[in-house]
Amino acid sequence: MSKKVLLIEDEPQIVAALRFLLQREGLSVFDHGDGQDATQKINAVNPDLVILDVMLPGRSGMQILQDLRDDKRTQELPVLMLTAKGQRKDREAAENAGASMFMTKPFANEEILRNVKALLNR
Amino acid sequence: MARSLTGTRIRERRRGKNLSQTELARQVGISSSYLNLIEHNRRGIAGKTLLAIAENLGVDARSLSEGADRAHVMQLREAAANVPAAGAEIDRLEEFIGRFPGWARLIDDFQSQSKFQNETLLALSDRLNHDPFFAEAIHMMVSNITAIHSTAGILSEGDAVPPDMRRMFLDNLAAESARLAKTASDLIGHFDTPEQPEQLGTRSSAVDRFFETHGFYLAALEQGDAGVDDLLEGAGPLSDFDRADLTSALTGYRDMARALPLDRFLDRCRDLAFDPLRLAMEYSAPLETVFRRLAHLPAAEDLPEFGFLKVDGSGGVLFRKQLTTLNLPKFSSGCPLWPVYRCFGQPGQPVRAMMNTPTGEGFLTFSVAKQHPVNEFGLPPSLTASMIFTTDFAAFLPKAERQTLARLDVGLHCTVCPRLECSARRSGYILG
Repeated sequence: MSKKVLLIEDEPQIVAALRFLLQREGLSVFDHGDGQDATQKINAVNPDLVILDVMLPGRSGMQILQDLRDDKRTQELPVLMLTAKGQRKDREAAENAGASMFMTKPFANEEILRNVKALLNR
Repeated sequence: MARSLTGTRIRERRRGKNLSQTELARQVGISSSYLNLIEHNRRGIAGKTLLAIAENLGVDARSLSEGADRAHVMQLREAAANVPAAGAEIDRLEEFIGRFPGWARLIDDFQSQSKFQNETLLALSDRLNHDPFFAEAIHMMVSNITAIHSTAGILSEGDAVPPDMRRMFLDNLAAESARLAKTASDLIGHFDTPEQPEQLGTRSSAVDRFFETHGFYLAALEQGDAGVDDLLEGAGPLSDFDRADLTSALTGYRDMARALPLDRFLDRCRDLAFDPLRLAMEYSAPLETVFRRLAHLPAAEDLPEFGFLKVDGSGGVLFRKQLTTLNLPKFSSGCPLWPVYRCFGQPGQPVRAMMNTPTGEGFLTFSVAKQHPVNEFGLPPSLTASMIFTTDFAAFLPKAERQTLARLDVGLHCTVCPRLECSARRSGYILG
């Protein structure tokens, strides 16, 4: 059974590109574009990996990550954070909040695929 | 210190006119040995002798006299302090100004331009850090670029991408490119500030430049020989923002001049000792309108010259007319001890005070803060405050009355203000 990746990203064109890349790797891809009810979506999909944008409408990716780490069911869930902010303090904030990995937009396709595989194979 | 400047200036101006010491002394009616002492700064000079020398040299007596260039001196001191490694001979500054007035003006202009650019950079930096539009635009652009970068990477794989997916990604690429172009265009528009210093001397906004060029007095507009549109046309190319700004300023000027026609106003000024409060009562005009009228008088020997500063509650400068003896800020605020800021505490209450700066200048000042109506329930009124100031008060304000006025020891910009113990200080002194 293929592994499930949930993309929480509000930019549909980025979702389209990542969906194509990940599906081609044999992964099942789900997506969600709003921060407000993202944790419900995560619990419903029960993914093997979440790719989480930091800046989302409704609720920030950092708050969603905090919720995931506060919940026993999702404490160990791999989360790859995506952000347009590449400053050191943002990276540190993401790591402190429990992000498994942090990537700065824009990224190369090969790079994100490499990181997704690494997180799924942990 | 200032005496040396006067003598040195006389010598330099005389040499510039190819006049011998003997010849000038003869024209002025003093001995050449006395003139020699004056020129070598061993004798003070004032009154009739100074006026006679100025007249024979064809210059304004004030340009030779003490204190006329305080702001100029401070400006050059600041320039020297900004580059201490240059080792500028500050102790010979006044001699330098006297001997090389053109070079001194050039350095003054460079320093002004440098300050303007620094203030512009600070304003831009502040804007970049706190501007919500900019933050949102950058976020959108990074998202656009990410989508384009990722989509282009997929398309570059060629036949590995099924035709229907290729079509979708091409459409996505076109849509994202269009969004990126739109965001970039909006961003450029947001930061499009045509108001840039184009050459030395043009260091302020279009309104400032316009009024400085016209000496803050618009005779044609006052006398009905030209309208606002005529003056706008003569102002040269303007951005939409500058045009709106200047139109508003000129319309305000025209309305002020209509409410307080110059000839009669000057008569009443002389009768009422240039007291703006009594003038406002006589004309039933707002005090701020009288301030503006006094700031826009023609230059004449028998009229006091008033500077003008109007600020909002955040200290932002809305309008300024500088005097050579007092530099006013453009983007930042001045000294918080100035009465124009103090009067925010009592809106509507006119304040008259003598203001003494650390450079030794004394200014008669009139200030008032005004509340502006709001357009929403629950909002406090916004405030502006205006101040006029002059050093030419001796002619209309008797000494006895002057001595009854509040005397405020104030500063300049903290960076050039030597009042080191001032409790209102907000940054260090750079000239120490």
